Amino acid sequence: MQSHGVKRIAAGLVAIGLTASLAACASGDPLGGGGGELGTITVGSQGFAESDILAQLYGQMLAANGYTVKYSPSIGSRETFIPALQDGSIDLIPDYAGNLLYGADPKATATSTADVMAALPAVLKPLGLAISSAAQAQDADALVVTKEFADANNLVTIADLAPIASTITIGANTEFESRSYGRAGLESVYGVKGWKFKAIDDYGGPGTLSDLLKNNIQVADIYTTTPSIKANNLVVLQDPKHLIAAQNIVPLFNEKSYSVAVANIVDRVSNVLTTEELMSLNEIAAGDSKPSPEKVAKDWLTKMGLL
Amino acid sequence: MLFAAALAFIFDPANLLGEKGILPRLMDHLLYTGLSLGVALLVGIPIGLIIGHTGKGKNFVIALTGSFRAIPTFGLLLFIILFTGLGLGPLVFVLAILAIPPIIAGAYSGLDAVNRETIDAARAIGMTEWQILGKVEIPLALPLILGGIRSATLQIIATATIAGYVGLTGLGRFLIEGLALHDYTLAFAGAILVAALALVADGILALIQRLVVPHGVSRGMARTTTRSGRRTAPPALTGTPITEG
Repeated sequence: MQSHGVKRIAAGLVAIGLTASLAACASGDPLGGGGGELGTITVGSQGFAESDILAQLYGQMLAANGYTVKYSPSIGSRETFIPALQDGSIDLIPDYAGNLLYGADPKATATSTADVMAALPAVLKPLGLAISSAAQAQDADALVVTKEFADANNLVTIADLAPIASTITIGANTEFESRSYGRAGLESVYGVKGWKFKAIDDYGGPGTLSDLLKNNIQVADIYTTTPSIKANNLVVLQDPKHLIAAQNIVPLFNEKSYSVAVANIVDRVSNVLTTEELMSLNEIAAGDSKPSPEKVAKDWLTKMGLL
Repeated sequence: MLFAAALAFIFDPANLLGEKGILPRLMDHLLYTGLSLGVALLVGIPIGLIIGHTGKGKNFVIALTGSFRAIPTFGLLLFIILFTGLGLGPLVFVLAILAIPPIIAGAYSGLDAVNRETIDAARAIGMTEWQILGKVEIPLALPLILGGIRSATLQIIATATIAGYVGLTGLGRFLIEGLALHDYTLAFAGAILVAALALVADGILALIQRLVVPHGVSRGMARTTTRSGRRTAPPALTGTPITEG
């Protein structure tokens, strides 16, 4: 009885010790990079895998270059993280250029990457926000068809849908139909009209994909960085007239934290990040081993020679 | 204001028919409800009657089906769709899963509440087990059996709104479209329609309950419960032996 009690106490002490050392690990920089003499930067993310990875890409680059980096993952949507930037609870967050522009200025009309990036600084300035360079990588809505359907109907751009529009069903989230690039935009910009709509509210997820592969729908709205595009050899219809707003990945700062030095470090990620690369990052993160965003980001930065 | 606008939407004849009309979506909603309830009855009633009659496996079955109630229906639906793709099958399956526990619970507790002396008496006069079940237990248990079915039906009607998320329609589409497009009048109209359908269905089932339950059962129950608050009050003294022995 006595020895049992002693053992128990000993086990308790070990447990406390473990907890304390774990806590110590958690509060320190888990990657051990960077000294922190240049100040602290808190990187936020929007609460989905891609955003978490992007936040890690920015954060690890900054940590490797002398900044102390804290992460504030899963902040949520634009309605939440813009105020968080403004009140300084975060300094930097990865965002999407087009949505950022329309969020800040609902009357904006720019859709191409160049136009969106040109319009952004003036809109962000009054909000106390700043951006650095956009990546080539985009996570935008895209009209996607199967390879067989594209070949059978000679589809390359969205305009090629016009002759067969009355025979097709487009599957997308409910709001697609009434968006600027939905029924109205498809008709006015590309002459695609008379199509049927099937609402599948899974953001181009597995339900949409299975319906597309079964030919229950012929065209699906799937985000450009979704790994299922590559995995199923799907064809993204080109959008030469910029019907769908560009959604290049852009680092968004609060003005107080923005400096040329910080921007230059983060931009080294933007400079090499393509849609293909971002898709493969998402694919790795969704893989069977479920690696952490931290590890996915670190492996990629190492591979690209940035760390 | 919102309420008035929603009612105006519902009673505008222009919104009745057509691809996104109230009537076709109502029919779809009823179709999903009917199919799911049918499957749930086929599974739930026999199980409920078996465990109610034999008393065997009741702890296991009640615990198992009770745990079904904790399954998030929408999550289960999305999970199944990962393997099957979109379609009516997964929806009917998850709605049936939702409806089976109250049906089993109703059937089981209905039979369980039948006075044991009544059953012994039936056995004593030479009834077979099937006769006891069909002529004594089920008629006496009908109020609770139907109560379980009513509760299952209401749950299905309310939950079938999720069909609209997975490529099907139903009254849930008004809610989903309203929320997606920030058209809260539309969403509210959808909510009113679903609630109204649930009330009407419940009313109809209440009527059926009244019609099919043997006269003596409802009379006997009403009397015993009002008099003592307990079903096991000795009604034999009042001279209604067929109802509760």
